[in-house]
Amino acid sequence: MSDGAPLLACRDLAVGYGGRAVLREVSLAVRPGESWFLLGTNATGKSTLLHTLLGVLPPLAGRVERGAGFAPDRLGFVPQRVDFADLPTTPDELLRLGLVGQRLPLAVRESRIVAALADVGLAAQRHVDHGSLSGGQRQRLLVARALVRAPQLLCIDEPLAHLDLVTERALLELLARRQRDPAAALLCVTHQVAVAAHLATHIALVHHGRVDAGPRDTLLTPARLAEAYGAPVPVAAHPGLAGVRPLPPGLLGAVERAP
Amino acid sequence: MIRGFLDAWPLFGDSWLSLWLIALQLAAVGVFLVVRDRIFVGAAVAQSATFGIAVALCLGSEWSADGSFWRGDRFLALVAGAFAVGASLLIARGGGRTAGRRGAGSEAVAGFVFLAGSSGALLVIAHSPHGVDDVERLFAASGLGAAATDVALFGALAVLTLGLVVWRRRQLLLLALDPVTAAALGVDRRLELLLAAWLGLLLGQSMRLSGLLYAFGCLVLPGLIARAACPALLPMVIVAPLVGVAASVGGALVGQAGDFNQAPATVGLLCVVLAATWGVRALRRR
Repeated sequence: MSDGAPLLACRDLAVGYGGRAVLREVSLAVRPGESWFLLGTNATGKSTLLHTLLGVLPPLAGRVERGAGFAPDRLGFVPQRVDFADLPTTPDELLRLGLVGQRLPLAVRESRIVAALADVGLAAQRHVDHGSLSGGQRQRLLVARALVRAPQLLCIDEPLAHLDLVTERALLELLARRQRDPAAALLCVTHQVAVAAHLATHIALVHHGRVDAGPRDTLLTPARLAEAYGAPVPVAAHPGLAGVRPLPPGLLGAVERAP
Repeated sequence: MIRGFLDAWPLFGDSWLSLWLIALQLAAVGVFLVVRDRIFVGAAVAQSATFGIAVALCLGSEWSADGSFWRGDRFLALVAGAFAVGASLLIARGGGRTAGRRGAGSEAVAGFVFLAGSSGALLVIAHSPHGVDDVERLFAASGLGAAATDVALFGALAVLTLGLVVWRRRQLLLLALDPVTAAALGVDRRLELLLAAWLGLLLGQSMRLSGLLYAFGCLVLPGLIARAACPALLPMVIVAPLVGVAASVGGALVGQAGDFNQAPATVGLLCVVLAATWGVRALRRR
């Protein structure tokens, strides 16, 4: 765990819609080097909390604070789902739009775009019609659009939804690589407890209108998971952790093999 | 055709120029509605401007004598603009389901605004001396009667519109494409409201002269043509206004040669071009 100043923090936060709180008294702080995973069942308010932390939704109470020197241009965001429908666009253009708010020399922009597309395996598709990409490629493109900002804090909402095994593995490899950067932080909403078990340093268990937040090993236990999910979560052996379903062998291997 | 057009310039020049400038600015703003797939919003806001004009006509006839400010074009434009800006902001704010907000939905609110504006306009004016004909005529106004002051007004609005669109094109496109990400990345959400208010202002000012058909047509058809013809989004921001002006010039030429109202001539031309563009795109995809 890092003891640096938080990039993003909230205290006694209440989040929800139209004055109706979904979550209350949420307090957490995301520091450089930390990987936060927001876990919980459907409709418990995970995405609502993420949107509030990012300033997309106003808090109903409490406040969200960004650390000194941490500006929106150091943040990357991968939404759960975006439908660009039948619009004429290309990966290159979407990444350029992803650089909004950043004042960069042209050469830096170009190199960022090339690197981000290469990171997600879409270098060859840079100028193709977005409509010709598969669903998995479109999801990877959203990740590239976040990476092109060279984010200090990467926020991802359900990154593995609708992905095939190969794309899941590529994305998890990428997240694992980012974890090795002590200056980078991750904030991820997911249903995949096993993924959190492998990649998280910190967990926010979202359940029953509240959030239990803290280091992974104190929260990712069978008892805490059963309380949060309302049922026992399948248990399997995992180093340093009693309690979660392991990744499929291929995925686990990919994550552990990542340089 | 060209000679007849030039001969008529002293008579209709201000009207044509005003309509060309209206086409330019509406097409520039319309791109963002097309990208966001909120085409019907344009019709709803335009119809709310009709409601505003009907209210202004009613108030003017009740409260004042001929020749006063309350019965003049400026008062009509002012009230139409106020109604259109209000309607546009209502749709943008009240209807938004984006960014996790749980509004009624922009299509639902746009439908409400369109129908409330349509029925309200006819009901408000039903017993006034101006009658229903005046409001119905706004459906396809010809632009006739424009003065040099109108050219100056729409010229200034066009410059400001193009300035806004060019200056903030990336932010506006990202807001239209993916408002949640735009907000997360620090794009000021007030920009969306500014665009909505600006759309209301433009439609409110345009409707009195151009009518619903021309305003709505120039708002969305050039954007749809650009969407079908362009390989990417940013070129749409340039292509759509050019298509709007070109069609408006073409509509003026056709209208002058065939003694047609320019509004249906321009919109008809845009529809033909859009159908052709869709056809070419379909052939390319085979």
